[in-house]
Amino acid sequence: MPSRARRRVALAVLAAPLAGCAVWRDPPQTAALVGRAPAGLPRRVELDATPFFAQTEYHCGPAALAGALGAAGLAAQPETLAAQVFLPARQGTLQAEMLAGARRQGAVAALLPGELEALLREVAAGHPVVVLQNLALPVVPRWHYAVLVGYDLDAGEVVLRSGTTRRATLSLRTFEHTWARAGHWAFVALVPGRLPATAGEASMTQALVAFERVAAPAAGLRGYETALARWPASLTLAVGVGNTLHAAGRPRAALDHFERTARRHASAAAWINAGTIALELGQRRRARDAAARALAIGGEWNDAARALMQRIDVRPRPD
Amino acid sequence: MKKTSRLVATFVAASVAYAGMLHTAQAALIGTAEVATAERVPGVGDARAQVLSTLARADVARALAERGVDPAQVRARVDALSDAEVAQLQQTIDSAPAGASDVLGVIVFIFVLLLITDILGLTKIFPFTRSVR
Repeated sequence: MPSRARRRVALAVLAAPLAGCAVWRDPPQTAALVGRAPAGLPRRVELDATPFFAQTEYHCGPAALAGALGAAGLAAQPETLAAQVFLPARQGTLQAEMLAGARRQGAVAALLPGELEALLREVAAGHPVVVLQNLALPVVPRWHYAVLVGYDLDAGEVVLRSGTTRRATLSLRTFEHTWARAGHWAFVALVPGRLPATAGEASMTQALVAFERVAAPAAGLRGYETALARWPASLTLAVGVGNTLHAAGRPRAALDHFERTARRHASAAAWINAGTIALELGQRRRARDAAARALAIGGEWNDAARALMQRIDVRPRPD
Repeated sequence: MKKTSRLVATFVAASVAYAGMLHTAQAALIGTAEVATAERVPGVGDARAQVLSTLARADVARALAERGVDPAQVRARVDALSDAEVAQLQQTIDSAPAGASDVLGVIVFIFVLLLITDILGLTKIFPFTRSVR
């Protein structure tokens, strides 16, 4: 075997202990769901208003994405999306491209926990979920993107917008098998300012940082503010608020925010950003104070703190 | 000659001083992604930096040493992985079930396995390791 293939086998071996599969009995998550009634989860939900786009050829990715975006109020046509996300050479859409495609259209795309219950909770919260399925075998995969829009715990079924079928029903267990073979991959695409029901802090932070790169600053800000309200102890989210405030042309608000954040977290990075903005605004004493605090904290941002201090000192008087 | 070199020196000094004053106030802010990487938010930013910082953890380094494994060797191994492989390694480490009784053990196992796969000839990073054939 060529060494590249060997390396892949080695990594697959590393990953194998953490993947599970059951073929002949109820897959684990379905069994758990059917066995007990999860608290607060309605027995039956269907998001009938989710738009449907019949896929063409290999464009299940763009079709699914268009459906999810449409449900979020961000209308997009599969053809437009296909130009951005579809790779003709691969005859499909990479998962990373699905997320990027959603973000470019102004939606925050957040990966969900790999649990069936999480997917159902999202649907119950009114959020259709884009899922990846492997409709065939692990060794001969047939990848397929679909949109989960409903479920019925008593009937043991899910409802998908899938392929050319507006209302495709699948048994919970079959769905779980196909979804498990695709690594339990699923995401929601929501307008900034709306949080998924089940995405954790790390997943949401990851989603917002990626969103910030391509989104309009005001949209990025809305996303970060909502997430920070939910997870107020997060330094990263707080920095996100500050950076998007600045990018949105609100430097004074950004400065105040960075100073508050820096004090709360004793964060050199936040002090440096505060000092940088203070310098921009010509408030040299405030900038100097921030830079001094950043230097006092030390650590990995020391070089940046020193560079800031030099910039403050070098600027010709008067200010 | 001396006069010319003095002139040149003065010119260079003046240019450097001038360049110093050209620092614009538009210096870049520390990006959110950089902070996320420093805060070790899983899935964000540089997977390589995250894996290396996991390796640098005191408890991980100690556990490796207890097994007679040199963390420096593992670090070299991680450095030699491609970006895609590092990302996959980071994902594997991330999916070590949080709250499980032996998360540290799982992480250490992953790093040790990484080293072993090289020794077994599944990869060829270290020129001096001879594969068992």
